[in-house]
Amino acid sequence: MTGIEYRDRLRRQMLPHILCPGCGHGIVLKALLRAARSLELDWDRTVFVAGIGCSSRLVGYIDGCTLHTTHGRALTFATGMKLARPELTVIVITGDGDGLAIGGNHLIHAARRDVDLTCLLLNNETYGMTGGQAAPTAEPGAISTTTPGGARERSFDACALAVAAGASFVARGATSLPLELDGLIARGIAHRGFSFLEIASDCPEYFGRYNQLGRGPEMLQLQRRRLDEVDRTLRAKRSLGSRRAEGPPPLRTGVLHERPA
Amino acid sequence: MGARSGSVLVVGVGGQGVVLSSAVAADAARRCGFDVKQSEVHGMSQRGGVVTSHLRYGDAVHSPLIAAGEADAIVALEWNEALRALPALRPGGTLIVSVERILPPSAFLDRLHGALRYPPIAVDLLRGTVPDVRACDATAVAARAGDRRAMNTVLLGVLSRVMPFSETAWDDAIVANVPPKALGANRAAFAAGRALQADDARRALARLARSDEGGDARRAAASLEIVDAWCKGEMCGICVRSCPEYCLGFDAEATAVRVTRADACTACGLCELLCPDFAIVVHPAVPA
Repeated sequence: MTGIEYRDRLRRQMLPHILCPGCGHGIVLKALLRAARSLELDWDRTVFVAGIGCSSRLVGYIDGCTLHTTHGRALTFATGMKLARPELTVIVITGDGDGLAIGGNHLIHAARRDVDLTCLLLNNETYGMTGGQAAPTAEPGAISTTTPGGARERSFDACALAVAAGASFVARGATSLPLELDGLIARGIAHRGFSFLEIASDCPEYFGRYNQLGRGPEMLQLQRRRLDEVDRTLRAKRSLGSRRAEGPPPLRTGVLHERPA
Repeated sequence: MGARSGSVLVVGVGGQGVVLSSAVAADAARRCGFDVKQSEVHGMSQRGGVVTSHLRYGDAVHSPLIAAGEADAIVALEWNEALRALPALRPGGTLIVSVERILPPSAFLDRLHGALRYPPIAVDLLRGTVPDVRACDATAVAARAGDRRAMNTVLLGVLSRVMPFSETAWDDAIVANVPPKALGANRAAFAAGRALQADDARRALARLARSDEGGDARRAAASLEIVDAWCKGEMCGICVRSCPEYCLGFDAEATAVRVTRADACTACGLCELLCPDFAIVVHPAVPA
């Protein structure tokens, strides 16, 4: 349909993947494969690096050069790899916990150094693999195993953080806009310098269940509503049935910051 | 038609240039010393809706609207709009029509390409009721003259044959109303329209009547390939819920997705894009 046979790029013996039913991460992996195809990346000179977490599991399914590293350290390994082998295209897949909490320091320094890497940060606002603890991106009021009464702390704006730290390309995409995601990822990979993409994904199994947001389809719909100006107005007029006191703030997608190399 | 007064109804679909061609004709009439009034309706033009423009000229015109059965000429930029406008034509009036067919939104019976139904062409309907039909494929003529968008000016060229306006007045009106970058194409289109003969009209109508016989072949539906072993079934359900045509459902155990309305699939690909498990591939039907 979309001009790509995904299965040629997957380790089929590993499928079906371990991600829960309705998890948005698979949608991101598809978009990444489409972006790689559209850029005609040299598959033998493209490396996918990941840390630990649900999102980081994705590299295990890519039939290519992949590196599954330690928790939070994907960018560190990737930086080393880029320095040693500058001809490689290095793409990092990380999550909100892996990239912003455990590996937060590595993220800001990779951005500050403006190393020529592409970092996809899949944000589902929770630690899915360990049972649904609150991630630094969990919105205030979000219920998780570590915040049973609702999160009290403010959450990270990952894109603003990346801009402040010096990343030269910062964009935000969302799984409910899969085709826009292709283009953003492709632009990020083509950009010379540190490209940071935050991608809104969903965790129906923990975040969705704890916050009564429904499963995959409902969460995608909810996310879609956060993206649109029109829907934002509608949302102001009627409750969406979320138990949280006030809905999450609107999400702005697209390229948010770009500084030529 | 009387040389000292007359009326022209210009009809078409939004974006075709009804208003501009009416303005050019009005300007040409004004340059020949007529009093001119013009009025147009273009409410839904941005959505492909109907656009009509009334034009009346004479020694003194008091109202811009043409009453039913009083138009000396109808200039129709679209075939179906010509049929719709027919009651406005006076007995013995001239119908200038392009065989253009633009699907009205109401013809989208379903969204499968090929399942769109244009109303019957009904060339026979005109025989006997309208003796003077000047039909042409205006877009093809305009394309040969340099720019297919100048199809409205081709019809003005045809109209110039039945209007008592001088050729200089027409040309001046085109120069005054058409954007400079499109002037060359519009002048050429006008000349091509003016040169059209009765034989051309007969041939255009015959071609159109033949095209009505084919009927509307419905395109074959797309086929969906589902990998049951990878599908996570009802617990996920993203594709089932996101399909805009409600084509998908589950098998008996609700562990895998099934196509329930294969006929309705438009191959939009949304299920494939949103399936996180690589379990659906959409194969668009190959055109026969």
